[in-house]
Amino acid sequence: MSKGSLSKLIETLSERLLTERREYLATLIETSSSLILALLAGGIVLAVLGYDPLNVYNILFRYGFGNITYLLDKSTPLMMTGLAFAIPLIAGLFNIGGESQLYIGAFIALLAAYYTHSHVIGILAGTIAGGLLGAFIGILRVYRGINEVISSIMVNWIFFYLIIYLISGVYYNPERPHESIPIPKDARIYPISNISVIFAIAVLASILYYIILFHTDIGYKMRVTGLSTASAKYAGFNPDLSMIYSMLLGGAAAGLGGALLVLGMTYSIDDMLSAVYGLGFTGIGIGLLGRLHPIGIILASIFFSGLLIGGQWVELKTGAPPELADTLIGVIVIALAIPYVYKLLVSRLIQRRVIE
Amino acid sequence: MIEDIINIISNTLISMVPLTLASVGEVITEKSGIVNIGLEGIFILSAFTSTIVTFHTADPYLGLISGIIIGFLSGLLHGVISIYLKGDQIIAGVGFNSLAYGVSLLSLVAIWRSHGSSPTVAKIPVILIPIGGYTKLSIPPLSIIAIIVGIAAWWWLYKTPSGLKIRACGEDPRSAEAMGVNVYSTRLYATLIGSTLTGLGGAYLVVGWIGQFTKFISAGRGFIALANVAFSNWNPLYALMGGVFFGFFDAISIYIPIKLQQTTGQVFTAEASLFRIIPYLTTLIVVGIIMKKVRMPRALGKPYIKE
Amino acid sequence: MLPEPIIEMENIIKIYPDGVVALKGVDLTIWKGEIHAILGENGAGKTTLMRILYGEIKPTSGAIKINGEEVDFHGPWDAIKRGIGMVYQHFTLIPTFTVLENLHLSLLALDESIKAEDVETLTRRLMDELGLKIPLYDVVEDLPIGVQQRVEIIKTLLRKANILILDEPTSVLTPIEVEELFKMLRKLKKLGITIIFITHKLREVKAISDRVTIMRRGKVVATLYTSKVSEEELARLTVDIDLTSKPKIRGGIRGRRILSINDLWVRDERGLDAVKGVSLELYEGEILGLAGVQGNGQKELIEAIVGIRRAYRGSIKYLDQDITSLSVGDRYKLGISYVPDSRNIGLVYGMNLTENSILTNLHNYLSGIRVINWSEAYRTADKIVREYNVVAPSLRSPIQYLSGGNQQKVMVGREATREPKVFIVSEPTHGLDVRATRFIRNMLVKLRDLGKSILLVSTDLDEIMELSNRIAVIYGGRIMSVGDKNEYTIKKLGLLMGGIHEQRITK
Repeated sequence: MSKGSLSKLIETLSERLLTERREYLATLIETSSSLILALLAGGIVLAVLGYDPLNVYNILFRYGFGNITYLLDKSTPLMMTGLAFAIPLIAGLFNIGGESQLYIGAFIALLAAYYTHSHVIGILAGTIAGGLLGAFIGILRVYRGINEVISSIMVNWIFFYLIIYLISGVYYNPERPHESIPIPKDARIYPISNISVIFAIAVLASILYYIILFHTDIGYKMRVTGLSTASAKYAGFNPDLSMIYSMLLGGAAAGLGGALLVLGMTYSIDDMLSAVYGLGFTGIGIGLLGRLHPIGIILASIFFSGLLIGGQWVELKTGAPPELADTLIGVIVIALAIPYVYKLLVSRLIQRRVIE
Repeated sequence: MIEDIINIISNTLISMVPLTLASVGEVITEKSGIVNIGLEGIFILSAFTSTIVTFHTADPYLGLISGIIIGFLSGLLHGVISIYLKGDQIIAGVGFNSLAYGVSLLSLVAIWRSHGSSPTVAKIPVILIPIGGYTKLSIPPLSIIAIIVGIAAWWWLYKTPSGLKIRACGEDPRSAEAMGVNVYSTRLYATLIGSTLTGLGGAYLVVGWIGQFTKFISAGRGFIALANVAFSNWNPLYALMGGVFFGFFDAISIYIPIKLQQTTGQVFTAEASLFRIIPYLTTLIVVGIIMKKVRMPRALGKPYIKE
Repeated sequence: MLPEPIIEMENIIKIYPDGVVALKGVDLTIWKGEIHAILGENGAGKTTLMRILYGEIKPTSGAIKINGEEVDFHGPWDAIKRGIGMVYQHFTLIPTFTVLENLHLSLLALDESIKAEDVETLTRRLMDELGLKIPLYDVVEDLPIGVQQRVEIIKTLLRKANILILDEPTSVLTPIEVEELFKMLRKLKKLGITIIFITHKLREVKAISDRVTIMRRGKVVATLYTSKVSEEELARLTVDIDLTSKPKIRGGIRGRRILSINDLWVRDERGLDAVKGVSLELYEGEILGLAGVQGNGQKELIEAIVGIRRAYRGSIKYLDQDITSLSVGDRYKLGISYVPDSRNIGLVYGMNLTENSILTNLHNYLSGIRVINWSEAYRTADKIVREYNVVAPSLRSPIQYLSGGNQQKVMVGREATREPKVFIVSEPTHGLDVRATRFIRNMLVKLRDLGKSILLVSTDLDEIMELSNRIAVIYGGRIMSVGDKNEYTIKKLGLLMGGIHEQRITK
């Protein structure tokens, strides 16, 4: 790289940091205050239940982030469900269906890999299945006016029970009770020299989403639709189409997450779906914590993964329950509900003064 | 045959209680313009709290009261965030659901060392009416209360001045404010009424129905209640009917597999799951059909900012 | 009988926190039992003054006296208790409630325990007194606007108002409804109600008022007896004739007819006709100025031309191509460009300057398969910033960080840089300082000289007179007049915009 372009690069980066400093600062404050609030609330709950919060948090953070490979592995599905919530929200939709989109991704990936012995086909099949389910929710919203929150929750439960039925009634493993048919050995994805392959795939997917969002016209139109439908129409965009695309992409992310989970970590699905249950909902918190940005989501998913792993250690060492993570997520989401609209409000106030 | 019908009616009366209470409550809340997605969380949290209380006091009625209190507090939280802090109502509701679920499970493990369910607790007795020779129709007393609540809510919303004010807030808060209505406080107490009724319904899930707290005590029923609100076109009387309608499907989805197992002698664990789909599928289809035909309060879900 | 002042406003000044001076020391006296018109253009300050009277806004300084007694209002409720009632342009009725429910609701604030039956009795009595018939059990939004307005008036009267302020009441009425309104106002006057009537329409001032106060740019120009002043005189007083600004040297060689609009009918959000059979032609190399007071159909007309709104009757042709059903994007690709009057629509808040620079032209920045060529976008943004002297910290600044004027420049610059063939601008210099305004106007002339066709929609008559080759005046959804610029004077434009028909105007 020549001297000129290097200095230009530094100039651009520092210029960018300075001008967007206000935005970064605000984001930083919101994110950290919601985290602090969550840890405080969690600490109170722990204390009420008779545990020592400091001890618990100490173990949580020390052991949670110990084994890197496991940490990254576990963060993979969370990253994907985080994207599953974030992308549609950028276009203005609340995708609560990350759960079922992940279930179907995992299940279809399982079947595809079982019959074709190929992890590639497994991944593709799972991703497409998730995407179609997501698009379905989007279509219901656009063409029938059905609120996507209700429809996605209903679909979540429908597929929850449907897949439980299929695993316990049809695709069960006769040798192992309560488990589905396993992924054949040659279709499984293992870490390569301690590097988590599924994490790498997830990061690639996140980068792809980043590119779509900020470097393609589809992403641009989605963003405009989410910020101002009136401007979208003025620009000649079709807001309905953008919304469906966003659900397609969101569902595909969750589907990919499910596929990677089953191909790279669990290698089968249990008939209570306990390995996959709740990942979609956690993704909502991750999407918000990651400020709806693929990079932020990668970081948030690693952080949460650490919390979840740390929670298991906490249970081992102190007997305190690992479900603390759900509590923390809940507080984070609630705390972030406020600044999210705060930003909207600020921009709306600015717009109003602009008109006057 | 008659025995089956009586049993199904009894079960429907049980399952309609939480759905009806939450739906009617949420109708009131949404008529004022606030949407509370956190009904599911209130169900779970109040179910859990009433389990603890009933376990320690052996008095299911105290359990019900604790559920009412939890509902009230939850509504207060949601109200403050949505109305005064202008938070996003959907995200706040979703967050609350996670929080309630997490805290409940956390406490379940902490108190009873269980990851699935609590010990059983005392239940509220039902009214038994003998029919014919040997079957009895069981009427849970709360089902009568639920019906009364539904009718009373309709009367209140449509025939009283305070109901008029609530509806005004949900249609056009700006004009309502200009006409002297305090939109903020009206919306708050509408939210509180809704959440308190939901809390009662949540407590009932344990002390009136299942008899213990389990991980899947609610299983999306809070969202079926939300769908019922839309299905009833925001009318408490229709919400009452909807509660019975969806309660029926909820009941038979549990009853049919059990019945099949009894009659055929075969075990149907896997297929039982398939039947559990019924209430959710029904809800989805029904909402799909009626969505274009119902009219929601115009200002629903939009934060109102006083100038 | 000597006139008795019921309202006295003394030296009212209003300065907004951001420095805008809305009222520069206004004195106003309203006599008991009269119908007093407040006449002025957009931005003259009439609504601000009335909102102060109604207690919605506090004046920066000045005094208000009601019946000789000084008052200090902290909110509309203080004014209501004093007997002042306001009927806004945008009604404060719950659209989905019935008339009775609305009246009941409004009276509950004054009497917590009042029952619906009592409200009905009181209302029917009032309706008899006024000779009105309003269907009490109908839902408000299903009623014609004229009836809704009557409901608003009844609402204030039920609250025992004896001073009625009406803000542009006829802007939403058909001519017949206007007559009915006037009949009711005369009846109210007989009952002793004092009426203040805000308007920009000269004919109505003459038709209904006893006295008229003309306001311009935050000051009172004059208060006169309506019977003693002519419409021409009113127009002259209302419209600011700035003789120092000479019209620019016009030029431009008119080319072929590029846009032809034929008998266009467009509906507004409420489903009412906003554009009623408009026919217009646009030629290359000219600026057609569309003059008119806001709310007379301009917005719906240009939205129909651009494609954001669909006309339900009539046609729009671009050269020889019928584009009446063409999508917005395709019209932009043909060479039509539109700068809306609201930055809310024309810009996307939450995106940065560069992202906003490619909003209407996205397809030109796609390389490969749908990937955005950001360096090309930056080039465009940079071009806009340089050519339009946009003050911005960087090309990546979020657009909301720019001042209003600079945001406007970005919006106008974006559309002009696209080298459109038809350039539609609405209020292009609104909110800009003198230098920026001059710059934009010069730019429009330059574009015209390059052979572009410009449709300039503006409420600023100086701008219209300075820039246009031809002028059209829109009023009530119809074109009152269209012709060459030198057929018009500002006075004549003022009259046309106020609804006076051409034939009645002498040069």
